[in-house]
Amino acid sequence: MPTLVDLLERVSFLAAMPAVAGVFVTAGTLAISRDWRLNSLALTVQYFFLVLLLTRLIRLEVAAVKGLIGWLICMVFYLTERRASTLEQPAPVEESATVSQRWRRWIISARASFHLLAGILISVAAYTAALRIPLPQVPGDITLACYLLAGLGLLLVGLSDDPMQVGLGLLTFLSGFELFYVALEPSLAVAGLMGAVSFLIALAAAYLRTIQIAAGREGAA
Amino acid sequence: MISGTLLLLILPLVMAGVVYSLLRWTALSALLSAGTALVLGIAAVALPLDQPMQLWGDRQIEMGEAVTFLGRELVLEQADRAAMAILFFTAAGLFLLAWRFTPRSLLFPMGLGLLSLLSGALLIRPPIYAALLVEIAAALSVFALQAESGPPARGGLRYLTFTTLALPGLLVTHWLMERYVLTPDETELLGTTAILLAVSFALLLGVVPFHTWVSTITNDSVPLASAFILTIGNGVIWFLLFEFLEAYPWLSDHPRFSPIVSTAGLAMVVVGALLAPAQRRPGSLMGYGALVDSGAALLALAMNDESGLTLVILSLLMRPFGLVLMAAGLTGLRAHSGNDDSFDALRGLGWKAPWSTAAFALGGLSVAGLPISAGFTWRWPLCRALAASNQNSVLVLILAGIGVMVGVWRGLAALLVRARSPKDRSVIPQSSSEGWLTAMVVIAAIGLGAAAGLFPQYLAPLAARLAETFTFYTP
Repeated sequence: MPTLVDLLERVSFLAAMPAVAGVFVTAGTLAISRDWRLNSLALTVQYFFLVLLLTRLIRLEVAAVKGLIGWLICMVFYLTERRASTLEQPAPVEESATVSQRWRRWIISARASFHLLAGILISVAAYTAALRIPLPQVPGDITLACYLLAGLGLLLVGLSDDPMQVGLGLLTFLSGFELFYVALEPSLAVAGLMGAVSFLIALAAAYLRTIQIAAGREGAA
Repeated sequence: MISGTLLLLILPLVMAGVVYSLLRWTALSALLSAGTALVLGIAAVALPLDQPMQLWGDRQIEMGEAVTFLGRELVLEQADRAAMAILFFTAAGLFLLAWRFTPRSLLFPMGLGLLSLLSGALLIRPPIYAALLVEIAAALSVFALQAESGPPARGGLRYLTFTTLALPGLLVTHWLMERYVLTPDETELLGTTAILLAVSFALLLGVVPFHTWVSTITNDSVPLASAFILTIGNGVIWFLLFEFLEAYPWLSDHPRFSPIVSTAGLAMVVVGALLAPAQRRPGSLMGYGALVDSGAALLALAMNDESGLTLVILSLLMRPFGLVLMAAGLTGLRAHSGNDDSFDALRGLGWKAPWSTAAFALGGLSVAGLPISAGFTWRWPLCRALAASNQNSVLVLILAGIGVMVGVWRGLAALLVRARSPKDRSVIPQSSSEGWLTAMVVIAAIGLGAAAGLFPQYLAPLAARLAETFTFYTP
């Protein structure tokens, strides 16, 4: 049976521009979408591409451990939001209303279009920064991935007060920084502490989300 | 042989677990937390650094013994001892007040956990790794800042956000300086390092325009937990700044160091002075009071000499007497007003909760720097020191103090409104709803603050001695 490391080796051909494109798409999805299922999936895929990029800078095993921490974080987000969606279950609606809601899903909202525009601006800025201010010790495509992750993470943090969105933004920002910093300081101690930081951020965001749900239920009661 | 350094890190963590399991017994958990902090504070100050001490049986303890953790060295040095003592003694006082005002709060176990992490941040070498421990502490503090009931506090998340944004700058600095040692002709590395450090510490200290987390944590979070962040957490950031200045002395030697620090401090003082009297909630008032306090400390640092550094350290010693007391009073007032702390909701509450009112008002006046309060003991020498070179700063500092006092006065005016009887006569309730134990704890805290204000000659030499351990200003 192949191990996680074997699997990562098999897909290592993606660890260049395809992974950067993957990071761009997933971070962009996080910035635009408010659907928790889509966000959980995007974060999971983002960590996959991040691990691929990390394999070019650090040992495969260390990158795999970072990926495992990331996927554990995704699990925390998924379980929290799944529970929240169960508790926040809206009252049953008429069939005509359900049809209109289904249609509305395909029409882009004003909020989403604003986030999309802001995301595009940030991406252009990240691309320009990658060309003008290359980061030391990392190749050009990874520089672009770092700037994209940090920029779109900041956008997520800046545009919302919601604990989960801010948590996702902070984790995306930290992923961008970590991708750069492992090239400067590849020590296991720093990798471990960075993993602990990411996991605690996820726990804090999930804790605040449960408080939000509890407060909402108390208000409704 | 037990390493004292390890004791300072492990004991609070172990006690955090114990206290968490005993949380339902309010007095026990609070007294255990306060006792642990007190014992560690005494150990940090009283036990000798360079010789082992007999504990029990064959057990010995050596405070100065270095410990290796994850390949990094942790060592207690002379400069760290007083800093640790400030942290632990402040925490002990804060836990005692929390016993009466926020019983069964997560502040006790989380506070002990934070003490361990923040102590680690002060002890780890090189200090660059402290940034990671401070970040972990910020993530943990979200749990302490959040009240058990009510909506999610934005303050904790905002504090975590600003700390996370400060992390990259602090970590990359270390690598830049290592590279500069290898290639000293690349002088632009120094410029990049200075910018990264300035932005990172501005984020961590809440310098304008990165100050929004300060008033948010005091406004919507557990007040005593926010006081923990603004006294103990902020104190660690200040000591980290001193360690960075010590490690890179060219930073304070730079001709632009003083003007930049002075401008940052002045901006904080002005923003705090303008916004404090306009607040309609005592929580926000506390935040802007803390902003003025930090700004004044930056003005002291900008003096770029040992007396300035002494005043900064004295401010860190005196700040808890005002902020922690204010936070305790605010907690008591919120408890009586159903968690609504707008001035309208607090009208007349001063007669029902006189001890909370007294704690809030006297703490606020100390934060404002009223004469004979604890805050005055370092603001007055600062004004005198600045008067010769920068009269405008002195004027702004005095006006900022008045601004915070106006805010406290407005709060007090609302709190002391008398209820009217049907015959339109003012009515004063006959008894307070606060117990005698709360009264005793508040009286003790006010007494300590008054003693610190009336007899600064006991604490000022400590600050001066601590300032002497740093050499970055020595000509």
